[in-house]
Amino acid sequence: MCHERSSATGWGRCVAGTLLVFAAQACSGGGGSSGLVPGPDPPANDVQTARFLTRATFGPSTEEIHRLSVIGYAAWFDEQVRYPVSLERPTLESMAAHQDISQDQRLEQWWKNAIRKPDQLRQRMAFALSELFVVSDVAGVLQNDPIGVAEYYDILARGAFGSYRTLLEDVTKSPAMGKYLSLLKNQKADPAHNIRPDENYAREVMQLFSVGLKKLNPDGTDVLDTNGLPIPTYDQPVVEGFAATFTGWNYAGATSWDWPQPNYLPMEPWEQYHETAQKLLLDGTVLPGGGTAQQDLTAALDLIFNHPNVGPFVARALIQRLVTSNPTPAYVGRVAAVFANDGMGVRGNLLAVLKAVLLDTEAVNGPVDHPQTFGKLREPLLRLTALWRAFHAVPSGGRFRYHNPELHFGEAPLRAPSVFNFFAPDYLPPGPLLDAGLVAPEFQITTETRITSTTNRFYECTFEGWYGYPNPKSDTALVMINPEMALADDPPALVEHLNLLLMSGQMSPEMKTIVESMVTDTDANDPRQRVLEALYLIATSPEFAVQK
Amino acid sequence: MSSRSKFRSARAQASRSCSRRELLRRGVCGAAGLAGLHMLSNLGLISSAAAQGGPGDYKALVCVFLFGGNDSYNLLVPRDGAHYAIYQATRQGLAIPQATLLPITALTSDGSLYGLHPSCPELRTLFQSGRLALVANVGSLLAPMTKAQYQNGTVQSPPQLFSHNDQQFQWMTSIPDTIEGYGWAGRVAELLRSLNSATPLSMNITLSGANTWQVGPTVIPYNLDTGGPSSLDGFNGTQGQRRLQAFQALLDKPNTHLFETAYADVQKRAIEIDALISSTLSNSPPLATQFPSGSYLSSQLRMVARMISIRQALGVRRQIFFCSTGGFDTHDNQLTDQPGLLANLSTSLNAFQLAMVELGTMADVTTLTASDFGRTLSSNGHGTDHGWGGVHLVMGDSVRGQDIYGTYPDLTLDGPDDVGSGRILPTTSVDEYSATLAKWFGVAATDMDTVFPHLSRFANPDLGFML
Repeated sequence: MCHERSSATGWGRCVAGTLLVFAAQACSGGGGSSGLVPGPDPPANDVQTARFLTRATFGPSTEEIHRLSVIGYAAWFDEQVRYPVSLERPTLESMAAHQDISQDQRLEQWWKNAIRKPDQLRQRMAFALSELFVVSDVAGVLQNDPIGVAEYYDILARGAFGSYRTLLEDVTKSPAMGKYLSLLKNQKADPAHNIRPDENYAREVMQLFSVGLKKLNPDGTDVLDTNGLPIPTYDQPVVEGFAATFTGWNYAGATSWDWPQPNYLPMEPWEQYHETAQKLLLDGTVLPGGGTAQQDLTAALDLIFNHPNVGPFVARALIQRLVTSNPTPAYVGRVAAVFANDGMGVRGNLLAVLKAVLLDTEAVNGPVDHPQTFGKLREPLLRLTALWRAFHAVPSGGRFRYHNPELHFGEAPLRAPSVFNFFAPDYLPPGPLLDAGLVAPEFQITTETRITSTTNRFYECTFEGWYGYPNPKSDTALVMINPEMALADDPPALVEHLNLLLMSGQMSPEMKTIVESMVTDTDANDPRQRVLEALYLIATSPEFAVQK
Repeated sequence: MSSRSKFRSARAQASRSCSRRELLRRGVCGAAGLAGLHMLSNLGLISSAAAQGGPGDYKALVCVFLFGGNDSYNLLVPRDGAHYAIYQATRQGLAIPQATLLPITALTSDGSLYGLHPSCPELRTLFQSGRLALVANVGSLLAPMTKAQYQNGTVQSPPQLFSHNDQQFQWMTSIPDTIEGYGWAGRVAELLRSLNSATPLSMNITLSGANTWQVGPTVIPYNLDTGGPSSLDGFNGTQGQRRLQAFQALLDKPNTHLFETAYADVQKRAIEIDALISSTLSNSPPLATQFPSGSYLSSQLRMVARMISIRQALGVRRQIFFCSTGGFDTHDNQLTDQPGLLANLSTSLNAFQLAMVELGTMADVTTLTASDFGRTLSSNGHGTDHGWGGVHLVMGDSVRGQDIYGTYPDLTLDGPDDVGSGRILPTTSVDEYSATLAKWFGVAATDMDTVFPHLSRFANPDLGFML
């Protein structure tokens, strides 16, 4: 934490009642506020600013709300793109030099990057991508390979603003993916022994990472046949064609095909294990025989990349992860159009796609136009990152030793139960949402058991998780709430401040009344307790749980 | 299309009346209202419920879903010389050695002798003692079909064949071409709900997370952890009580946003059911039966047994439990991994059966397996890929055990049952398998079409494996 005092100038856009807080708040990274250059495209108001940051980062802070509100979107994006990439693997490697490491240390680095590092947009995008291009350390083949899994996450972070096509190839050649979906050591057919190529990666790269099962219109709706039924994107022979295409890859530097020692470098081809017969691929395309492993892989990924489904498929996935569970076809269509052409004739520019997702008119106006349905359930992990980022939480004991968030939240980075992620994009929760035909993926992990453990976790992370709390648990970080305590004798001002910071100013009047009453009914001589009561109620409330 | 639009309008009605949903969930509303809402026939509802016995009447279905797709033609293997030779020629490097198979003797013979995978001695004992039946070559179908019909497309195949989540969905719904998110256990619970009218606890309880199988038009499965329900912390003392009131007020206040309502519903249900069952569970005598340690499946089945042990205190007469175990998607390392997967299944099912004996409920509780699909008989070098038909297990004292039902397929590669690379065309539909269980559970013959709309397309609405 830096302790540079900020001047009062430039705070004019802050909502009434929070000036005191800004003046008292220690500033965060990125330089002093007085040096901010006003940009031409600031968000319309603080509500828009906070909401944008809730989607685009692991949670807004007072300083970041101010910063974006001054410099505007374009400068903010430019700044985010310029920050060095915060990585996991190099740190794990240096730790491994003097201690045993496991997935625990990978999680520590993930928390550090998510909570403390300035490249927030990239880190948030990497997390979203980790729920699209899924590998998981639950799998026996990855459990004891934290460096390999960390490098996989780094691939996503490095590729977050690049080309989807490049990322697809990096993911395909990653040994972590190679082990997870058994592309590693996949070999050509051996008919004498009834052996044919492994279909695992071939099937899932199409179904889950790129084109999906059904032919899509440019706006993501299903293409229908004359009977009104969806049309499959591919069939079993195509899966077999891609399976044959993805043969002949092994660990970099392997000196025998059975080489057992994993490393994190991109896999390398072994031509004698590559299938050289012709292959049937998507939409009747036949890949001629005789190609090398790399030539065939290039051709197959090009074909996938150029399939008309990919734009709407990826657009919907990113909109669902960042903004809303049930986007209109028009929204999907606009983002898909940017995937097809970023304006400079480039297809698959993920930074352009990300901007399109976050700045779309529906992202801005959705909560007003569709007040009952727009938005998404916040992933429980992201509810906690929001709390910790808002109050500059300091890890207890100096390191984020929160190794098993799945026990509280039903999710942890790169720890899904299968390649189908923690939740399905079309999950319909039984009850009012299924009745209304609304998908809500994150509800799939919001079970009666898990919702209570999540609520209890927020008890620990508030009442037992403030800076100065005696003997805090090693898996918590400690929120710094001095600026909020300064507002404790003015409950409406405190609640309004927390409303902007945690709920993008969308708290209902009824909720404000309930939270303010709780603050008022708490000992006025104990400002900390007053703030913690408010934080707990907000963090466990249905209104906070839903990002709108 | 007509049934779809009918369902759509039913859904629209339901969403207009949340309080009505709540009444229905608690079983307060009359049968006529339920039938009108959800196309479950009024007549059927009465006949299914009225068919049941008096006090002490209790039945439970326990599903063990083998996620990933079990290679079940390595679980039940032909062991006589001629048929083993075919098996061996097809499976080659993946074949289980003939001498290691655990021989079983089925009461009726199809001309072959069979053995179980060597890691399943408990299943062998259960089979030989008549408490376990095997059902061969079950899979999702829209209608019976031959290999020729599959190849020339004259009979429609289930959509998205060989895809994990689609095939799971088809097992769970038993309607491969539905777009509705309801499962057959959900529809069964909808019909029989009046039997549990004494309790707000859902008839359908999942130990293994959200699943479509247990969801019905007004049936919301209850999620239970292997350690029992979770209780909320931090509401002790005066300040704690004040906090609890505020927390509760935030759940109870009307929400304009449907996601907020849905979230509040889950938290409220968690609190309500925790209060209902936690103390009863903790006051119930512990089970003497030892379950294998370190097995997630066993810990799920142990909690199922504990719930069954408090059935009378809860006032429930029908329960449907969902458990699962994963890792069956053995594309790689199959020979290394499958023995452990099957051993876990075998020892866990055995412990559960012993627990049912301890509770005296062995004839009241029937356990079934389900799985995404069978796997290819051919190898990909280190494992197998997604197939179709497979062998399933049904366990309990109401099962006509020690027999193999359905038709064990010809395992010849490119033979009459192979639609490609050893993907075996199912000869028994999920509908037939499930309907046999639903009939035992108390669904009347007149309601079968409601629960299994495609059942009449198939030859055997009752496969005969239940007493």
